[in-house]
Amino acid sequence: MKVRRLLFALLWLALLDFFIPPIVRRAEYARYETGAVYRFENSDLFALGPMVRYLREHPRGPRRRAMFLGNSVVFGYGLEARDALAAQFERLAGDTRVFNAAVNGAENGDSDLVGKAVIDSVDTLYVQLTLRSRARPILGTLIPVDDDDVRRFALDRTDPIEATLRSLLGRVWRLYAVNDRLQAAFFGTSARQYLYLHKRELLLAALGRAPRKAPETPRSAIAVSLSARRDGAPLPSAMLDLAEVAKSHRKRLVILDFQRRVAAADFNAAYAPYAEIVTIDVPPALRFDKQHLTPAGANAVAAALVAHDRERAP
Amino acid sequence: MIFTELRFVLLFVLCWIAFFAVPRRWRSATLAAFGIAFYTIFAGPSVLAIVLLLTLAAYVRAPALLFVIVLVVAKVPDAFLIVPLGLSFLTFELIHVVVERRRGRITEMSLTDLLAFVFFAPARIAGPIKRFPQFRDAVAEAELSGDDVYAGVLRILLGLAKKFLLADVLALTVAESEYVSSMHQAWMVVLAFGLQLFLDFSAYSDIAIGFARTLGIRLPENFNWPYLAANIREFWERWHITLSLWVRDYIFTPLGRALFGTRLRPYPGAIATISYLATFAVVGAWHGLEPRFVLWGLYHGALLAIFNLWRRYVPPSDSRALRALGIVVTFFFVTIGWVPFFLPLEKTTHMWALMFGIAR
Repeated sequence: MKVRRLLFALLWLALLDFFIPPIVRRAEYARYETGAVYRFENSDLFALGPMVRYLREHPRGPRRRAMFLGNSVVFGYGLEARDALAAQFERLAGDTRVFNAAVNGAENGDSDLVGKAVIDSVDTLYVQLTLRSRARPILGTLIPVDDDDVRRFALDRTDPIEATLRSLLGRVWRLYAVNDRLQAAFFGTSARQYLYLHKRELLLAALGRAPRKAPETPRSAIAVSLSARRDGAPLPSAMLDLAEVAKSHRKRLVILDFQRRVAAADFNAAYAPYAEIVTIDVPPALRFDKQHLTPAGANAVAAALVAHDRERAP
Repeated sequence: MIFTELRFVLLFVLCWIAFFAVPRRWRSATLAAFGIAFYTIFAGPSVLAIVLLLTLAAYVRAPALLFVIVLVVAKVPDAFLIVPLGLSFLTFELIHVVVERRRGRITEMSLTDLLAFVFFAPARIAGPIKRFPQFRDAVAEAELSGDDVYAGVLRILLGLAKKFLLADVLALTVAESEYVSSMHQAWMVVLAFGLQLFLDFSAYSDIAIGFARTLGIRLPENFNWPYLAANIREFWERWHITLSLWVRDYIFTPLGRALFGTRLRPYPGAIATISYLATFAVVGAWHGLEPRFVLWGLYHGALLAIFNLWRRYVPPSDSRALRALGIVVTFFFVTIGWVPFFLPLEKTTHMWALMFGIAR
């Protein structure tokens, strides 16, 4: 009897597996191509792998694509996802799907690796310049990286035997192969992060109460100026690497220098029209601490970037 | 989680097939071979450390020496580069073997039986702490049974659900401990930690018990609704049961017996107090050789000593209301005790102060 129950459960799993590909297709299209704000909530990297895989499998979308990379400044630390720089850029640009792939504490190496992994699937990369060129070792297990980068950034690798076994099992059991893609498509993150982040709304919904409506994002009365510094430190190697890749793939890379550290003019002349450094001067009134933008600050930077891009457009 | 790695699952499936395919007398050797393969794959060079421990256990026959070596190797942060997987659990099992052989309770022990016991993969990661005679008999008597496979698979699924759906979600609330600034937040984080630790640890035990059950081997239970304990003694009869029984048999009872031979003989209360404090100081150190774990152990030792004195004057009652009150009080004290277990000592007092509204 119990053996029969086990076989019955296996039969159900096999039947369910039949419906997995169309479910994944629809959920991913809704997550990655519609207007819903995209951000790695709680700075959790779980959704990075599934997002990169989707973009690499679908190099063209219904709209132009842009990706923002960087640390908490671009992620929008302290801000709702809809108030962060990338989301405000998407609203102002109008015809562009924007992915906010920034995470708190990210460095230039992280942006270099993610940027290279998606370079053929996005039209423009906006990358925040940070202090160091390090990368998180876990990226080696999440996204495609080459052997040089594994050595350069001391990245982790999935054990080859484990990777082979996963691949073999994934061929016969589709639910196993795409479980992370399903979670990322349904929740925008892992199921556990979703439960954790939305416990209040879920509880209110269970009690039949509507959640509070978020206030409107304020527009900035103060403008942000963009320029290209003539002097300053040289561009870190990880950013130079990404600039070379952008140039060779004929994609646009915009390096956002919030700290006004690097010399931009010569670089911009050498890499035009593919890569440029934009020096961003954010007035203190648009930051809530030394570096992080207020909602109005993110609005002002987004507006300046959109205007800058329109000037540059052919 | 090693249990969900396909390398482990594949190895276990092969082990399961081989276990039932070989003649009964080769079963221990089969478990030993797969256990060593498991250790080699997941822990690499630390197999050598296990061989060293086995040699000590087999020839030196000095349980105290074994314990000290393992405490230093495994529990002093950064003491050694190679820390064998599940070393703390392994040590207690080996000490049990050494002591019981000295006591003459384990008379016959083949090398393959010992290796099967030591390297039994499901219980090697986070327990339960096995006993050699029961394990050897369970291996010898194991039968292929659909009921056992079904019960084992269900237990594994239960463990995975506890770990991934509950414990891992609670862990995100526990991670908020860095930013706690109010009494409400402090209680929320500490309560979340208490639940997370129970669910996580019992999930590992469920999975280990489930894997063993599919082989027809019954491992000892490790948890029995510990937060429903009506007093601290009952808590330790329900929480990490195999550890509690181990320290009772190999620390608490021998120490108490030794103290009865001293001038403390007329003072059984003092003997019990010293035994509880010493035993739980060791339990704390076993979790990590850091002052905060020793503090946690001493806290529980003190609670048990106080409860022991209380029991001398207040007999147990059958009242349901008193039992309910006991559950609440025990849960309260156990919860407070988790603070040094998951926070560094310098943050512990601040968290306690926040919990009781003393700090802001």
